Amino acid sequence: MANRSEQLDKALQAMLDRRNAKPPRADAEIEPLVRIAAELRDLPREGFKARLKQDFQRRKDMASVAEPVAAVQPTVATPYLTCRNAAAAIDFYKRAFGAKEIYRLAEHSGKVGHAQLTIGNSMIYLADEYPDFGALSPETVGGSPVKMHLTVPDVDSFVEHALAEGARLVRPVADQFYGHRSGQVADPFGYTWTVSTPKEELTAEEVADRYEALSKTPPEKGKVNYIRSGFRTVTPYLMVQDAAGLIDFVKQAFGAQEHYRGTGSAGGIHAELQIGDSMVMIGGGGAWKGTPRPTGIHLFVDDADATYQRALAAGATSDHPPRDMEYGERGAGVKDAFGNWWFIGAPFAKSHVLPGQQNVTPYLSAVRTGKLIDFLKKAFGAEEMMRAESPDGVIHHAKVKIGDSIIESSDAHGPYQVLPSTYYLYVPNVDASYGRALEAGASSISEPADQPYGDRVAGVQDPFGHEWYMATHIKDVTS
Amino acid sequence: MALQKAARPGSRKQAHERLLIEAAQKDPEQFAGLYEEHFELVYAYIARRVRDRDAAEDLTSDVFHKALAALPRFDWRGVPFAVWLLRIAANVITDRWKRSSREITGIDDPPEPLVETVPEDIQMRAQLFRAVDQLPADQRRVVRMRFAEDKSIRDIAKELGRTEGAVKQLQFRGLQTLRAELGGK
Repeated sequence: MANRSEQLDKALQAMLDRRNAKPPRADAEIEPLVRIAAELRDLPREGFKARLKQDFQRRKDMASVAEPVAAVQPTVATPYLTCRNAAAAIDFYKRAFGAKEIYRLAEHSGKVGHAQLTIGNSMIYLADEYPDFGALSPETVGGSPVKMHLTVPDVDSFVEHALAEGARLVRPVADQFYGHRSGQVADPFGYTWTVSTPKEELTAEEVADRYEALSKTPPEKGKVNYIRSGFRTVTPYLMVQDAAGLIDFVKQAFGAQEHYRGTGSAGGIHAELQIGDSMVMIGGGGAWKGTPRPTGIHLFVDDADATYQRALAAGATSDHPPRDMEYGERGAGVKDAFGNWWFIGAPFAKSHVLPGQQNVTPYLSAVRTGKLIDFLKKAFGAEEMMRAESPDGVIHHAKVKIGDSIIESSDAHGPYQVLPSTYYLYVPNVDASYGRALEAGASSISEPADQPYGDRVAGVQDPFGHEWYMATHIKDVTS
Repeated sequence: MALQKAARPGSRKQAHERLLIEAAQKDPEQFAGLYEEHFELVYAYIARRVRDRDAAEDLTSDVFHKALAALPRFDWRGVPFAVWLLRIAANVITDRWKRSSREITGIDDPPEPLVETVPEDIQMRAQLFRAVDQLPADQRRVVRMRFAEDKSIRDIAKELGRTEGAVKQLQFRGLQTLRAELGGK
């Protein structure tokens, strides 16, 4: 035994002395033990296993504190608003909506790269325009398809305050069938905010039932929409001697659909036709012996070339054949046999057409478009949407919005002179609007009066020669 | 009844391991069990490639900290846990080589091959290291001092207050016990 252990130790010592060499040859009993011993040179140090265990258990305790925080972090959707003047927008949201500024990253110029606001308990991100990154404001793109919705404790006082701070009322505060009381305001930066206070707790079924009942109930007298069904706020009224001929022309040239044809109050034809999403009224002929009142119309179509050809085939004369206009449409111009201008346009630039802009957009030439716009604002509450003005003050193109309709205008030039056009204009309260129009400088044609076709109508002439028949729809009349 | 499966030690070991992993994934506190079972394997693998003890300890520490952090992403349906650990080990070793070869030019170590199974020699070493802990105390001390701590028989004898012959005897018996533990390999 002692001999074996001596022999083994000699072999082990030889192995240990030549650290990196193979174990020396030994007999069958000793050699395996030397190999094991060689492996044992890599044995971990005493206590290392226990030390390491303690070490990572300490760190793990920290990790186990951080871990659940990350695990419960919920998914959050945050609206990110782009505004043309973000700093002003932040200021406005603070004043009008009680927003709190949490964070702002601004360039030296003050341009806001990123800001975070809270309104109530909700976060809103906001930044200036960065066109290179596709960040464009509603003012640039012509409106926002996304509406903001605020749920507040008291919608009435909230909206009142917002209006006092410069918001514009879009829809007055009212009780809604789904159990909320809500209204809508627009901020000066192009965003619309629905403000709402829940008043009733309703189940989905109850809301559905109420909706069902609402859509079945015939509108009560005095509760009808002030705009007759199928119409928009502004409808051009083309009055010509040969009304029947003009009706045929708009059908052939523009695919107009005739909805109504009867005898008007002055004994002539009164007809209502639909072109695309808009209506036009055509009157005259028969016993009517008035002066023709032609109109200019910017007609948005899908194919300007085809429409242009159809218009010529239907008897119009060409003013200019279709060509790509630098302002964003393929446009052509024709004058029909009855004295109306039709500017046919197929837009290829989104910026050229405002969201919701109707197919039949009245186009007014004015000696001073600026003055016309001032009048439209004062008399009808028009909102200026854009204005292209050269340094000498000539307005080449302007768009104003009245209700849901856009009106375009430019300073009269060349062949495009002022036309004595007539427009039919729906207003919420014709009596009030009549008064405002007169205050704004219009002269009266007829005082407000109920008409047999269900509208209460008043007529005024603006200082530029246009006639406006303002109407409030008061009851539905079946023809 | 799944008697056949349960009777196979491999699958019983697998099932046990799976339980340990799932427990540790739910509760990092439970990682200790996995650590206890795999420490020797990882250390053996690293020590085979990195002879310096301090470096081997650093790297072993790295492997387990990385494993603890990555444990939620471990999928027991993939490679066995031991292979997963050795892959982490291979990576930390490669990283160390890369670092040192940037510091010391001219070192051109081969990259670690992808670990597919636990190499048999590493398995054996791990088993050996565990067996050392099971040795009778005096044998264990001698084996440690002599091989891991590189001490001479004389120094060990002095430290333990034994004769050199007695130390050599303990060394002999210790190695014999270990050989028996390893199944005569």
